[in-house]
Amino acid sequence: MPVTAAAPNALRASSGCASRLGLSLRQASIFPATTTMRAAAKFSTTAPQCKRKTKDSNKRRGVSSLYGSGPREPLSMSNMPLPKPVDFKPKIEVDESHGLWGFFPAPGKLLLTPKETEEHGRAWTVEELRRKSWEDLHALWWKCCKERNMLATAREELLRGKLGFGEREIDSRNEEVTKTMRAIKHALTERFYTWQDAVDVAKSDPEINLDGGEGQVYNPSAYEEGYDEVDVAAIEDEASRVTAEKELKEPVR
Amino acid sequence: MRPTQILGVGKYRHLKLTTKDVGRGFYKGNRTGAMGRHTKYGGYIIEWSKVRTYVVPQNLSESKVRMPDHCYIYNVLHLTPFVSREVRSEPGDYKGLAKGPQDPYFYVEQWKRYNGVD
Repeated sequence: MPVTAAAPNALRASSGCASRLGLSLRQASIFPATTTMRAAAKFSTTAPQCKRKTKDSNKRRGVSSLYGSGPREPLSMSNMPLPKPVDFKPKIEVDESHGLWGFFPAPGKLLLTPKETEEHGRAWTVEELRRKSWEDLHALWWKCCKERNMLATAREELLRGKLGFGEREIDSRNEEVTKTMRAIKHALTERFYTWQDAVDVAKSDPEINLDGGEGQVYNPSAYEEGYDEVDVAAIEDEASRVTAEKELKEPVR
Repeated sequence: MRPTQILGVGKYRHLKLTTKDVGRGFYKGNRTGAMGRHTKYGGYIIEWSKVRTYVVPQNLSESKVRMPDHCYIYNVLHLTPFVSREVRSEPGDYKGLAKGPQDPYFYVEQWKRYNGVD
């Protein structure tokens, strides 16, 4: 640092600078012209000797810690190399599978860029959710909650950093998640009311005996034509179908 | 229950209510609800039926979703709050049903078809 700082202060230069540069006195005497001139001037009685000396009472003029000028006079330790702070960055053990990473887009990733935030699909529609089971809707609700947690964290982080961008994208994505959640509630409420009505219908249905017990509730009068095909379709669709028997016994919460 | 009339008009309408704005008995709350009840000796009894329990679905991170058959992209995807914009949302076919998707007869028919016989 003192090497560079010495440059602008050309007025007060020579010997102090040289010592701070680490030059030995012998090297400094490569330029003996100034010393001889000064020595010669002592014997002169001409104008430079009569020049009026102005006193500067500020002994620390030109010394600045802001631009690192260094001390005005070379100090006893100016030749010694100063110790530098160690580049110390502790390595912290982080659990990659920690649950708190759920508040971030990915483990180790703090924020989505606004472009990435914008890249989302449309919300689920009620019609799509009508044929989903309770377990599917439950999982989807939690996915929505986690997504909104992540977005809220990102939003808070952007506001904290006063970055001034990215909130519009986060808000529109959040709005889309909210639409999905609204659709889930819509589908479940609708299913509950339909279930209530369906219980009344089932009571008057000759094929259904609600007091029948496990496996005895439905007594079909005749097997349908092409029952096997229906059964295969039912197995295929099982993941995305309403578990209606459960709901007939206990209402959807 | 409504706030006092004067609080609903003028500048008070835009201010947050504090205990200084209202009379005794004002309970602002913190939108969390009670987890129990107070005893007459100043204690508090936690009623576990009031304490919230949140049931996390099993294997949430592995949960998959099966897309409708008319979607040509992928049939099984990771569950997300979003559906690809490639997937068009089709209206349901509930023609001839008195209450549309809320029709109880339709519900019973569906139940008979998919869950009635074990």
